Formats: sequence, structure tokens, C-alpha cells
Amino acid sequence: MNSSVNNRHKAQERVRDGLKVRYRAERRFQFYGKLAIGLGLLFLSMLFFSILSKGLPAFQQTYMELEVTFERQYVDPKGDGSEESLAAGDYGGLVKQTLRNRFSDVKNRREKRALYSIVSTGAAFQLRDMVMSNPELVGNTVRVWVPADDELDMLLKGHTTELERHAGSGIASLVSGDGEIKLLSTSNDFTNILQDLKRMLAKSARQSERKLKRLRDNLADAEKSLLQLEEGILKAQSKQPQNAARIRVLEEKLADAKVSIDSYKEKAAQEEMIFSDLQQRADTPGGVERLNSEMPSYLVFVNGGLVKLTSVSNTQATGRALTQLESMHEAQAGEWEILEFETPQTARRLKDNALAWAWDLKQKGQIEKRFNTTFFTAGDSREPELAGIWGAAVGSLYTLVVTLLLSFPIGVAAAVYLEEYAPKNRWTDLIEVNINNLAAVPSIVFGLLGLAVFINFFGLPRSAPLVGGLVLTLMTLPTIIIASRAALKSVPPSIREAALGVGASRIQMMTHHVLPLALPGMLTGTIIGMAQALGETAPLLMIGMVAFIVDIPGGFTDPAAVLPVQIYLWADSPERAFVERTSAAIMVLLSFLIMMNILAVFLRKKFERRW
Amino acid sequence: MNEMTSGHTVSAYNDELKHINQLVEQLGELGRDQLRRAVLSLREGDTKAAGQVIDRDRDLNDLDVQADEAVIHLIAKRQPMGKDLRDILTVQKVVSELERVGDEARKVANLTIHFYDQDKNPPNGQMLLDIYKMADFVDCMLHKSLEAFKQLDLKKSLDVIKEDDNLYEEYRAALRRLSTYVMEDSRNVGCMVDVTLTLRALERIGGHAKNIAGHVIYLVTARDVRHESLATIRAEVLAADPN
Amino acid sequence: MFNSFSQAQSTMVNEAVEAPVEVKRHASIHREQTDTVGEITVANPRMTCRNVDVFYSGSQAIYNVSLDIGKNEVVSMIGPSGCGKSTFLRCLNRMNDTIDGCMVTGAIKIDGQDIYKKSMDVVPLRAQVGMVFQKPNPFPKSLYENVAYGPRIHGIADNKEHLDHIVETSLKRAGLWEEAKDRMDQPGTGLSGGQQQRLCIARAIAVEPEVILMDEPCSALDPIATARIEELIDELRENYTIAIVTHSMQQAARVSQRTAYFHLGKLIEVGETEQIFSQPKHKLTEDYITGRFG
Repeated sequence: MNSSVNNRHKAQERVRDGLKVRYRAERRFQFYGKLAIGLGLLFLSMLFFSILSKGLPAFQQTYMELEVTFERQYVDPKGDGSEESLAAGDYGGLVKQTLRNRFSDVKNRREKRALYSIVSTGAAFQLRDMVMSNPELVGNTVRVWVPADDELDMLLKGHTTELERHAGSGIASLVSGDGEIKLLSTSNDFTNILQDLKRMLAKSARQSERKLKRLRDNLADAEKSLLQLEEGILKAQSKQPQNAARIRVLEEKLADAKVSIDSYKEKAAQEEMIFSDLQQRADTPGGVERLNSEMPSYLVFVNGGLVKLTSVSNTQATGRALTQLESMHEAQAGEWEILEFETPQTARRLKDNALAWAWDLKQKGQIEKRFNTTFFTAGDSREPELAGIWGAAVGSLYTLVVTLLLSFPIGVAAAVYLEEYAPKNRWTDLIEVNINNLAAVPSIVFGLLGLAVFINFFGLPRSAPLVGGLVLTLMTLPTIIIASRAALKSVPPSIREAALGVGASRIQMMTHHVLPLALPGMLTGTIIGMAQALGETAPLLMIGMVAFIVDIPGGFTDPAAVLPVQIYLWADSPERAFVERTSAAIMVLLSFLIMMNILAVFLRKKFERRW
Repeated sequence: MNEMTSGHTVSAYNDELKHINQLVEQLGELGRDQLRRAVLSLREGDTKAAGQVIDRDRDLNDLDVQADEAVIHLIAKRQPMGKDLRDILTVQKVVSELERVGDEARKVANLTIHFYDQDKNPPNGQMLLDIYKMADFVDCMLHKSLEAFKQLDLKKSLDVIKEDDNLYEEYRAALRRLSTYVMEDSRNVGCMVDVTLTLRALERIGGHAKNIAGHVIYLVTARDVRHESLATIRAEVLAADPN
Repeated sequence: MFNSFSQAQSTMVNEAVEAPVEVKRHASIHREQTDTVGEITVANPRMTCRNVDVFYSGSQAIYNVSLDIGKNEVVSMIGPSGCGKSTFLRCLNRMNDTIDGCMVTGAIKIDGQDIYKKSMDVVPLRAQVGMVFQKPNPFPKSLYENVAYGPRIHGIADNKEHLDHIVETSLKRAGLWEEAKDRMDQPGTGLSGGQQQRLCIARAIAVEPEVILMDEPCSALDPIATARIEELIDELRENYTIAIVTHSMQQAARVSQRTAYFHLGKLIEVGETEQIFSQPKHKLTEDYITGRFG
């Protein structure tokens, strides 16, 4: 008795001793769990942040206003106003003409080409559509908003270069001459630019210094080898006078060395001059310095026009007018400003003149960002500003319709048969194992199967939603069958017994009781399978759904793309504007997936019945 | 104790059944002791001992109540079935038989007091001889029936039932003998009535012993033989236990 | 026998079977070949089972059971877990058909018709022999739908009024009408356990069966609900034949007129309930009802 009390006491002590360790282990476990969830959430939020920040701007598109005069010579080449004639019009030329009219000071060919590129090629189609729908426009002048080119769009969204604006603090007077404009400020407005320039010069000077040092090292090495050669010749002559051939070789080398020494010396001298010049320019404050295209671009906005600076000193700058100035009057402090585009001209596709045109349009309110309806209504395009996801969305819809129509009935029927009717033998076991394995087969294999069977054997069209749907059906069937079987299994046997007990036949038991109870689970499985199918790319690549398709598919056999493939295609495109469209398309796809999942949850909640 | 009270999955049930069977034994011992003491007090004319017998009857009654309560609790708690049910019912009946045995013993003790108290003449010793003889006989029967209950012995039960007939013969003979005493001397009438009542009490004790034996047969064979003829009982016993 | 295990079991039972006495006295003239103690036949049987063996994928679950179920009588089947009483009960309306590898041999007849013969359709059979299960299993539908389901699928009702009438009488007979009449459109799963079980009984009797099989109908219920079901069973006896499997011996004693004791797949003893519970003839029965094993 006593010993048992002792034992109990001891046991309780042991338990108490162990408690701390146990609780610590539990806390540790909880911590790990929270950490894992936290990390997951962090990555998820990073993903969403990245996609949202990249993709949201794509819902806005830059449009510019053009004052278009529908001149008959462009619009109506035959001059009869017939539809045929109108359709054949040179609308591209019209756009170009309009632009030339707008920026009348653009003269040379290169500049003109640059000017034409700020408007989307879609503008011509838009004008054409306008005329086609309203032939009375011919000969009239209308203000039209047309999409800007994607590069301009990117510029205005701040992706191309950063813009810093410095308001002029002095009174600027302008002097023009030699096609150049000289700006004189009463204050040190250009000092900053000059200082930047000096910094650049200092940097160049350091580079030049290093180069000079290298040249000098090379020179020293060359001189050393010259000495050695000379010694070698002397030695050779004293020891082996008969070896003339060797001496000749050495002498040739000597001559080469002398030549290279000379050239090094010359180069060093040049470099030294460059270096000292740079050094001097960098060190002495003030003075006049020229700007080059390796540096940020400086544009001065004065009197309604833009002057691109080519050289600056502290208080004055020289430049070329990119857009016409309204006058050459003096500009008061604050009425003019310096625009600094940090990315050098050579590092961007839009040159300074395009920047100037854009600025000009913007100042006049002829450029603005609007909601990007094109993105939701258009098919794919090579031009980002004309590209949309509607074609891919419709393709996805057709594909999913085919998938749903095939996989849901087949999947449910297969599940019902396997679960309720199939005898349990080796064959059904084999089938079951194979269905489970099918769910784990890489999806690209289904694509190969689709290619081999549906396209090559049955001769169905390539890139068609029909084939895509068939392939995705193969892929989603195992998911649906497994989910449906699980749902059927989860229906309690008591319900089946109850139905059978009152004399229901097997099929009545299924349709009246088991299926309604299993339906939420089946629907959930189906929707998850559909979501999987919606996000699938690999098998569709194999059946040619990766093609570039501009048209919105009109049926199940039309060539089509699907959303994920569209994303894949855009992600592959080099244009800057496709990056944000890729993200935007991902957002659309994700929202579809989320909606489908919400639908699944909703259906489950709605139809779920307790028993 | 025996196969009646063992083998249950719930061991407390075993203990409770054992307890009531022990109560029966106690009661049986006490009843027999009362009978013997009462008869002894009569034989020795010891009114004091007779008084003790009467007092001790209360103990017997207490035990009887105790046993009844135990039986009620058992029925309420365990809902006995089959032979457990028969066992418990038999115990209850045997207990009440034994209680009556105690009552009859008290009657004998009362007679002692009646005979030897006061300044009456003691009765004729010859008249009491039959009482002693019958008391021995009854005691033997009671003993045997209790043994039968304890051992679930059908043969002993049958013996007891058979002996009841002998006892009755004995009783009739004793009465005939008593009547000769009255014929001899009519003053013996008062005494004779008392002796007759005593004999009657003893005969009742024999009857109770027979009833106990009958209960034992019911307990073992599940056949109620109390109102059957001896031949039927014998057949029943033979059917249940051919040995 | 089929394997050493079942053989061992059977020899054990056989030894035990030899123990009882006075078999002849209770046996009738028409006694069938069986080891069962007691009277397996009744004067007016509704169902007769003769030499029933049940096999589950090769192993035997029921050994040579013969039993009659009389008209308007409650037969209870008791025995330790796994003794085959539920299996036997489920043979009576072929519920075992749903179990793969289950084979029933012997003859089970209802009103003289063999229910296992080829031409017998299980659907009308189950309408004839209704069943109530261990766990109350109302459909997750309204009370009305629960009761109306059987008549509807069998096409018993002529019209809506008739169906309403059937539902009402069934609920009344099941003693649920007073509680249910104001909530006919509420789900059956919302009732208490006892009410659910009475609903299941109402559902079973709505198709007018001749026999109702009850598989431990009160094992999930509290004593009061159990008492109500027992009372109901007693009332139903007037119109139906009832076979009930129960784990509660008291319940068997209370509700049934005849009791059958199963042990390891064999029917050990059958008899009047009073006799089984006060003076069982077989040692195994005695041991079981007195709580000595099981």
C-alpha cells in the first residue's frame, strides 16, 4: 500500500518534470506551423503585389487626339464615294498627313518616321471604320481620339524614363540664330546641368587616366623588350657571327618593336591631351560644355515650345527647337522649366523629338489615359496597344464548355458505375488503379495523345477549342471520377439502406437519394477539375493552340487561343507593354479561377445537407 | 459458493448473490438453533432459556427483513434472468419459510413458559416424549433441506419431501397417543391441548422444510412442484438428474 | 465444414447442444432436422425459414437455421455480438443482396413463397417486408417526403389526398402525428433520435408491409424514447408481424412473444419469451441471459 502511494508520487513527479519539455515541444510545433503559414501568406502577397503592380496599369491606355481632315485623295481613291473605294483608301497616309499637319515643323525623313511611330497602327483602322460607317465624313474635319503607340504609352506611364522638372528661377531671354536658340538666364539655372556634366567629365577623365596609364605600361614593356632584343643581337653577333639568319630574325623583331613603341608614344600623347583636357574641363567651374547622347536629355520648355539643349554654361544654354516656340519673348521666372529625362537617348526607343511631341500634345490636352476597353474586347495583336484577351477568353470558354459537357457526364457515370455497380474483382481494381494513376500523368502527355489521336487519326482541326476540350477532358476525367467517387462514398450507407428498405430499386436509390447528397461533392470536384483545365497550357501547346490568332473564335472548330496560352505568348514578347499585359491577363485568369472556386464553395454550402 | 452464484461477467453480482445465500444459511442455522433450544428448554423445564429463545426470535426477524431488502435491491439493480431470477426468488421464499420456522420455535418456547411458569403442576413427562421425538425428526428434515439448498441437491430435496409423509404419520400417531392420556385422566385435557399445539408447530416446521425442498427443486429444474404429487416430483427429479 | 475455424466453432456448439435434457418433450411431431432447442414452428406462420446457411465470401455466418415467424407476433432475436442475428434478419428481406460475396442457401418463405427464388423481385419483397434500422436514418428531406417516399415509388396512392391520408395514418400509427403535424415540411433530420426512429417506422409502415424487421431499433435511443418505441411495437403487433433484433434482453422480454437465441451463427434455442427468460433449457442461453458471458 505504502509503496504504491510512493510509486504514484514518483510518477506524478516524473509527469511534472516532463511537462515543461512537452509544452515547449508543443509551442515549438505551433511556432513552426505559424511560420509556415506566414511564409505562405508572404509569398502569396508578394505574388499578388507583383502581379497587381505590374498589371494594373494595363487597364489604362494612352489615347491622343488628332484633328483629322478626311481628304478625298486619301479616303476615296476612286473618287466615287463607293464602299469599295472607301475600303481601299490609304488611311495610313491620312494618319501620316494628319500628324504632319499637327507638327508642321517636322521636315526631314528620319524625323518624319519618328513622328509617324507615335501613333498606333490601329489608328488607320479606326479611321477606316469611321469612314465606312459614316461616309459623310469624307472631306470634313473631325477631332478623333486614337490609341497612341505602346512606346509612348510606356513613356507616359513612366516606364521608359524618369522625368525631373526644374522650374527656371531667372528671367530667360532667347536669342535665335543659325537654327539654334540661345537661352540666357538671369540666374544660375543651368548650373545643375553643368555640374552633372562636370561629374561626367571627371568620370571620363578617370577612365582616360586609366587608359593613359595602361598605354604607359605597355610603352615601358615595349622598351624593355627592345633593350633585350638589342642585347640579344649583340650576343649573337659576338658568339655566332656565322648565324646570320638568326640575327636577321632578331633585327626584324627589333624594327617591329621600334614601330610599336612609336605608336604607343603617339597614342599616349593623344590620350594625355584628352586627359588633360577632360581634367581641366572637369576641374574648372563654369565654362561652356556640350551635351551628348550618352547623357540625360535636357529639354527646356519655354514659350510653349521645347528646346533641346546641346551645350550649357552656368547661366546660358544653347539648343535646338524640337517644337515650335510661339514667340521669342523673354520668359519670367517660373514660366519656363527645364525637363530632365534621365535615361540617355541612346538607351531608349523614343528619341527626344518624340518626347517633345508627346509633351506638346500633353500640354495642349490632346493626350490622355483612358480605360483600356481594347484589352477586354480585342483579340491578340502584335501591337500591344491593340492586343486584348477577349479572343483568348472566348477560346477558353469554348474549350471549357466542351470539357464540361464531356467530362462531367462521363466522369459522374464512371464514378457511379465503379462505386455502385461494378463487381469488385481484379479488373475493376486494375481500372481503379489506372484512373488514380492517370491523375498523376504529366499533362503534356495528354497533349501528345490528343495530337496523335484527335488530330492525326481523326483529322480534327488544329488549334480548335473542340480538340482542346477533348484533351482537357482526358486530363480532368480522373480528377472528376476520383472526387465523385469520394462524394459517393461519403454518402452514409444508412441512407442507402433506408431507401432499399422501403423497396426502392437500385436506380431509384441512386437518383433519389445518393446522387442528390453526393452532388455538391461531385460539383466541387468538377469545378476544381475545370479550374485545373482553365489553367492548363502544356497539353494545348501540343495540339497547336499556341498559334498567334487575332480573330475572336466564332465556334468550336475555329482556331483559338486560351487564356494561359495567351499569357505564355505575351510573356514571350519583347515589347515592354506586353509585360504589363501579361500581368493583367494573369489577373483576369486568376479572377476567373477565384470565381470558379467561390462558385464551388457556394454550391457545396448551398446543397450540402446534413444527415 | 456454488454454480448459482458464480461465473457472472460482473463480479459484484456474484458477491451479492453469495451474500443473500449466506443470509439464508445464517437464517437456517439460527432457525434450527431456536428449535433445538426451545425443545431443550421444554425438556429441562428452563423458562429462562425459553425466554431467551423468544428474545432471539427478533434477531431472526431482523435477518429476514435484511434478506428481503437484499433481494429487492438485487432485482432492482440487476434485473436477474433465468436461474439467477429463480435463485433470488427461491432465496426470498426460503427466507420466509425459515422465518416461520423461527415463529414455530417461539411457540414451543412459549409452551415451556406456559408449562413451567407459575405454580401450576408440571405436565406429565410421558406426554412430552412425543414432542422430543418429533423435534429430532423435524430438525433432521430441516437440516437436510438446508443442505439440499446449499448443495442444490435434488436427491436430498426429494428425501425431505418423502419424509414429510412419515412426519405426518408420526404426528397422527402422537395425537392418538395423547388422546389415550386424556381417556386415562380427563384432567390432562388442558395439558394435552398445549402438547397438541406444540406437535402442530413441529409438524409445521416439517412442512416448511418440505417447502424449502420444493423451492430447491424449482431452483434447479425450473419446475414448480409444490402442489404436485410425490410421484410427479420424483419423475421431475429423475428427469433432471437421472443419478 | 468449410475451414478448421468454423469446424472448431461448430464442434464446440455441438457439445453444448448435447447438454440439455427433455428435448423430446417439447419437440413437435413436425420437427425439422435441426439442433435447435425448443419449438421452431408456430401454428400460423407468416414467414418460414428452413435450413438457412449464409456465407460471406466463403466463410459461413449462419449455420442451418430454421425458424418460423408467426402472424401478429413479435419475435425477438438475441445473442452476443457477431452471433449472426442481424445477418439472419437481413436475409428475411434480402438486404444481404447488397453485400458482395454474400450467399444464402436454404428456404425462406413468406406466405409460402420462396423469397430467394429466381422469379422473386426484391422490390415488392421489400415493400412486403419493411425494415427499421439500428441508427435512425430518415432521408434528409421533409417529414412528409420521408413518409410519402415509399407509397410514391410503389404507386400506392391514387392521388394527392390519398397520399396525404397514407402519410397521416402512418404517422398516427407510429405515434408521431401529434408531434409532426405542424412541421410536415421540416427536415426529418431535425427531429430527436426517438422521433426520427418513429419516423422511420412510419416510413416503413406507409407501404403496408406484412412483416417489419427491426435491427436494434432502440440502441441509439434514451430509455424514454426506447419505451415509446416498445409501446409502439406492442401496438403494431395487431396489424403486423415483427421480427426484432436487440441487444437488450429486457427489451426482448418486454416486447416479444417468442425469443430466439443465436450463438456463433447457430440458432441455439427458441421458445416463448417467458420461458426463455425464466427457465431457458440450454446452458448457453442460460449463461447468456444471466450475464455469464457475451
